[in-house]
Amino acid sequence: PPPGGPYGSPYGCPQPGPYGGAAPGGNAPPGVDPEAFSWFQAVDEDHSGFISVKELKQALVNNNWSTFNDETCLLMINMFDKTRSGRIDVYGFSALLRFIQQWRGLFQQHDRDQSGSISFSELQQAFSQMGYNLSPQFSQLLLARYSQRCPQPSIQLDRFIHICMQLQSLTDAFREKDTALLGNARLSYEDFLTMVVTRML
Amino acid sequence: MAYPGQPAPGGFYQGGYGGAPGGPAFPGQAQDPLYGYFAAVGGQDGQIDADELQRCLTQSGIAGAYKPFNLETCRLMISMLDRDMSGTLGFNEFKELWAVVNGWKQHFVSFDSDGSGTVDRQELEKALMTMGFRLSPQAVTAITRRYSTQGKIAFDDYIACCVKLRALTECFRRRDATQQGFVNFHYDDFIQCVMSI
Repeated sequence: PPPGGPYGSPYGCPQPGPYGGAAPGGNAPPGVDPEAFSWFQAVDEDHSGFISVKELKQALVNNNWSTFNDETCLLMINMFDKTRSGRIDVYGFSALLRFIQQWRGLFQQHDRDQSGSISFSELQQAFSQMGYNLSPQFSQLLLARYSQRCPQPSIQLDRFIHICMQLQSLTDAFREKDTALLGNARLSYEDFLTMVVTRML
Repeated sequence: MAYPGQPAPGGFYQGGYGGAPGGPAFPGQAQDPLYGYFAAVGGQDGQIDADELQRCLTQSGIAGAYKPFNLETCRLMISMLDRDMSGTLGFNEFKELWAVVNGWKQHFVSFDSDGSGTVDRQELEKALMTMGFRLSPQAVTAITRRYSTQGKIAFDDYIACCVKLRALTECFRRRDATQQGFVNFHYDDFIQCVMSI
């Protein structure tokens, strides 16, 4: 097996940060910067002190000005919702904005031709750089599923975030079962369903 | 082991999934009322994508009194039957989808005892169990959290959930060589099979 085992460099990118870890610089103090706070107030239309999936959708846009899709917004809310209420408060929102900023940076990095979206080859390269050893057919499939039917299918920021986060989460789940780190795991049907359902929803 | 939704000998789906197997075009296709809905939205290539499927299903009235399907659910439905991985459905695949969804709808209706268009966690769990999915409590919790609004799961979300479970089951079953309920997954295959759904 290649160095790092059958997964290539260990289970995706080893650096902390854009994959859900701490902000760059490590341990940013829990606080809210003024810009995030005023943005929060603008987005919290009903002034409930919380932002729902619907309100969040209005706040987050892709490079082509489309709003973030529902699934990604839901994923974001679940990540930053400490109360499990399906909404986030100003602290969660502030953390979410920092998180998205990091992702925008990464997205731009991989958008080599600066087109504003990620093409098939850019996606392949992104996966490869993150340490994933996935087939071209897989990237094709993701593009077919998540882009419009047009001559140059490509992925917007929201789907890029969603795809990368799911990759990370499923890899973690698989690694838990592959205790010998062989790149194989024997799964029962029920285990399989539980693993996937709890990580992908 | 018996997987939920697995075709019985003879090739028809059991357990309320309805649906005839896909196959070659049959005589009288043009008179099929479903073909009318399909042709109205489909392009020259005889394939429909998620947007077109959404319109098609809405016009066919399959959701009945329930809210029509959102785009993400339509995308999921396509992935469930999209054998050539094109991101689109042909007419026969559409027919199969329609029958399967109808089966699921009947099942939902039987659990929606107050006719509210929603089911609660317990009803959802029962509905899924009676379809043959043996889900752990964590799985049911994850499903409920994902699909419920104030403890209630709407018809559209229920369908999305069924599609996902069925697709995952198919993915697993195809790899279960001895049909004992175990698969030795290689990492790459696991990722690709699961994220294709």
